[in-house]
Amino acid sequence: MQINEQMIREIIVQVMQGMEQPKPTTNAVATGRPMTLVEKGEARPGTRADEVIIALAPAFAKYQNKTIVNVPHSDVLREMIAGIEEEGLNARVIRVLRTSDVAFAAHDATKLSGSGIAIGIQSRGTSVIHQKDLPPLSNLELFSQSPLLDLPAYRAIGRNAAKYAKGESPTPVPTKNDQMARPKFQAKAAVLHIKETEHVVQGAKPIEIEVKF
Amino acid sequence: MSQEKMIEDMVREVLKSMSKGAPIAQTPQAAPVAATQGLNPDKDYPLATKRPELLKSPTGKKLSDITLANVLNGDVKSQDVRIAPETLRMQAEIADGVGRNQFGDNLRRAAELTAIPDERILQIYNALRPYRSTRAELLAIAEEMETKYNAKINAAFVREAAGVYERRNRLRAE
Amino acid sequence: MKRSKRFEVLAARPVNQDGFVKEWPEVGLIAMGSPNDPIPSIKIENGKIVEMDGVARSNFDFIEQFIADYAIDVKVAEKAMAMEASQIAKMLVDVNVSRKEVVDIVRGLTAAKLVAVFNTMNVVEMMMAMQKMRARKTPSNQCHITNVNDNPVLIAADGAEAALRGFDEMETTVAVVRYAPFNALALLIGSQAGRGGTLIQCALEEATELELGMRGITAYAETISVYGTENVFVDGDDTPWSKAFLASAYASRGLKMRFTSGTGSEVQMGYAEGKSMLYLEIRCIMLTRGAGVQGLQNGSVSCIGVPAAVPSGIRAVLAENLCAAMLDMEVASSNDQTFTHSDIRRTARTLMQFLPGTDFICSGYSGVPNYDNMFAGSNWDVDDYDDWNIMQRDLKVDGGLRPASEEEVIAVRNKAARGLQAVFKELGFPAITDEEVEAATYAHGSKDVPARNVVEDLKAAQELMSRGITGIDIVKALAKNGFNDLAGHILNILKQRISGDYLHTSAILDKDFNVISAVNSRNDYRGPGTGYQMSDERWNEIKNISQAINPSDYDA
Repeated sequence: MQINEQMIREIIVQVMQGMEQPKPTTNAVATGRPMTLVEKGEARPGTRADEVIIALAPAFAKYQNKTIVNVPHSDVLREMIAGIEEEGLNARVIRVLRTSDVAFAAHDATKLSGSGIAIGIQSRGTSVIHQKDLPPLSNLELFSQSPLLDLPAYRAIGRNAAKYAKGESPTPVPTKNDQMARPKFQAKAAVLHIKETEHVVQGAKPIEIEVKF
Repeated sequence: MSQEKMIEDMVREVLKSMSKGAPIAQTPQAAPVAATQGLNPDKDYPLATKRPELLKSPTGKKLSDITLANVLNGDVKSQDVRIAPETLRMQAEIADGVGRNQFGDNLRRAAELTAIPDERILQIYNALRPYRSTRAELLAIAEEMETKYNAKINAAFVREAAGVYERRNRLRAE
Repeated sequence: MKRSKRFEVLAARPVNQDGFVKEWPEVGLIAMGSPNDPIPSIKIENGKIVEMDGVARSNFDFIEQFIADYAIDVKVAEKAMAMEASQIAKMLVDVNVSRKEVVDIVRGLTAAKLVAVFNTMNVVEMMMAMQKMRARKTPSNQCHITNVNDNPVLIAADGAEAALRGFDEMETTVAVVRYAPFNALALLIGSQAGRGGTLIQCALEEATELELGMRGITAYAETISVYGTENVFVDGDDTPWSKAFLASAYASRGLKMRFTSGTGSEVQMGYAEGKSMLYLEIRCIMLTRGAGVQGLQNGSVSCIGVPAAVPSGIRAVLAENLCAAMLDMEVASSNDQTFTHSDIRRTARTLMQFLPGTDFICSGYSGVPNYDNMFAGSNWDVDDYDDWNIMQRDLKVDGGLRPASEEEVIAVRNKAARGLQAVFKELGFPAITDEEVEAATYAHGSKDVPARNVVEDLKAAQELMSRGITGIDIVKALAKNGFNDLAGHILNILKQRISGDYLHTSAILDKDFNVISAVNSRNDYRGPGTGYQMSDERWNEIKNISQAINPSDYDA
């Protein structure tokens, strides 16, 4: 049998198509590694000083499944959790419903976090590390340029959040800056945020989430 | 609105000077002078160059006292480079004189706030943010402004906010 | 389909890297003229507005109530509202109608009526109007000074160069929030090394920004954001009342301040209520006037990618700048943040404010390379300095900058870095080495300077706050180390807060610390030959670029 480039291409295409076969269940995301989010009722204040909360915006991994640069939400969450666990701490995931604003979502979560530290993340990928006693629109570290956030960055965010929870003063995750992110992505970011905000429930309490990978 | 405040301000100045006894023929005490002088934007502004004799810090320092030498010998401290309420009311007159009455009102509110310490200003600002305070808490702040700091315009402003926040559900849920 | 080579070339052009979106009026993704914009109306009973733009008083949201009670002059409202929108537009472009006559009508208009006026105008008419309506006679410019590592030595040097190049105001912000006190301190020293009297600010969360101002580390504030729908206002963690209180708080400490708003922020934050971006922005402008704030930074600002993506968006941006000027306020007209990959498009956008002149044409020309701009990049940066200078020369327009020689730039950068080095030493902060001073003096950007120990710097920056260090302490530290001129400049900036002259509309300071504002430098434009006229001295400064050859040099 002669193996040529054309044939290899076809095989790869077939394999890829085969991988995409498994039908997504309602809660699993369409791309990335499979993940299921189980909603467990109202999120309660934690007592463990060794936990960091990840607060998901209303549509994250539910009505949207990838960031503004198409990073699957399941992979984002997996890396953030891994970053936290790498530092020997526990990750707890909640969904905030009353707001789609990343700072307020994270700030709500800090009040439930046993360590007082929480990460907020929007569907488009914008993230923040927050601490309980700070003003809501302040933060420990803010990652406002969602198009620049990749999986290593999400892991580093998890890791730093855990370090703050341990009372350390980590070197902040290096800030990326791309002045051409706005021209390319701002209008898309607005569209994604409008679609996130459509799922805000005024006055609703945050929901405890169990994550299954 | 602004006229009412202006009249209120004037009445207060007059009452204040009456209670002091002889109001006339004093060396220029900034406040009464300002209330009666009718500053003219074309002639009197900028005050620092056109009317320096009217200006004093709340600690009584004149502009000419603020020198590097006096900073180094400790005569000028941080609290000496602050604005006095009388100065703000004079600047409000200038603002009115160029038709910027809302800006003038802002400066009159500011004149009252000079009496409130920095830390308390920050606390009151945070209390006025959405969902931070109950109606009773806001009313207590208004009361404090009025009785402790004689900040009547601001007290009315905070009371108004309490009413609006209640109507628009922006109070802290108890 | 077989690709056309011409279309392939077009697809690769920078402009086609930009994001564009079709209008989506239901959610407010429309710059001007949304079918959901209200129809202008006003009803006044017993001196109170009881209906505005079709909404009864009992249904006013908090923005509407604030505008009705504080922004609109009920004494002139009925008469002003009775005028045709096109009649008001014609007054705006008519050189025989004075600025004051327009201001006296505009104070009685509702937001929907103002929108109706702008809907009748094209951009050339708006520029003509801007030339007349700008509050301060002399136009000016503002810059951003930041870097990706929050390196304070570099901030000081960049601030010095920018001040020398002509910016009257400069703004810093942070990559990491806790660095803020150092960024502000570094910029304060840098600005005064470049040109005494330059005003500086540090954009931060509202309460923190006020605290730095109270300490005398910053001279004014700008990042006091307001929004055009109640939901977004609340997401911004404020109300019109908290913001108006904050405005008075600044004034009570003798600090100049302006608000910030811009088209696109509401739709960007997800709650535009189906209204056009311009309509919502005009509510912000009116609210600012009502709060008694002297000025406004607007022109979409950080949301520029949103109006720029929809039709007539850049026209809406000019309209919002003009509207702020019509409401008799200082306007810092944006032209700051990047919105396009195309040099043609970014220049066209800026001409709208550059040609008529505004109080601050850019409210953030990047005084650092764009990779260091922590406002996510500006429409103009250090690499464009010569382009800007030559545009001024080509068109005989005062864009606020001047050509500067390499020698003088190096000298002020070095002085600023050494001044900061001395202050850090005096206050016991992590040492700034001579190598760092040298690197910052000659650097293009943060890639050219050694890294600092961020954790140590952050600790010391917090200490600056906890030890209660103020502007006066900085003055002392500079003087003790022989930087008497810098110390004197900073003291003169602090002195401004005793007189309060610079609280007024559109105030800036000249090199002798004299206040120039819309009180003593009122725009009196009434057609050709009137209004701002460039002095011979200024024209010579703009004309004399080092790139120009001197014909006499070729004489034997």
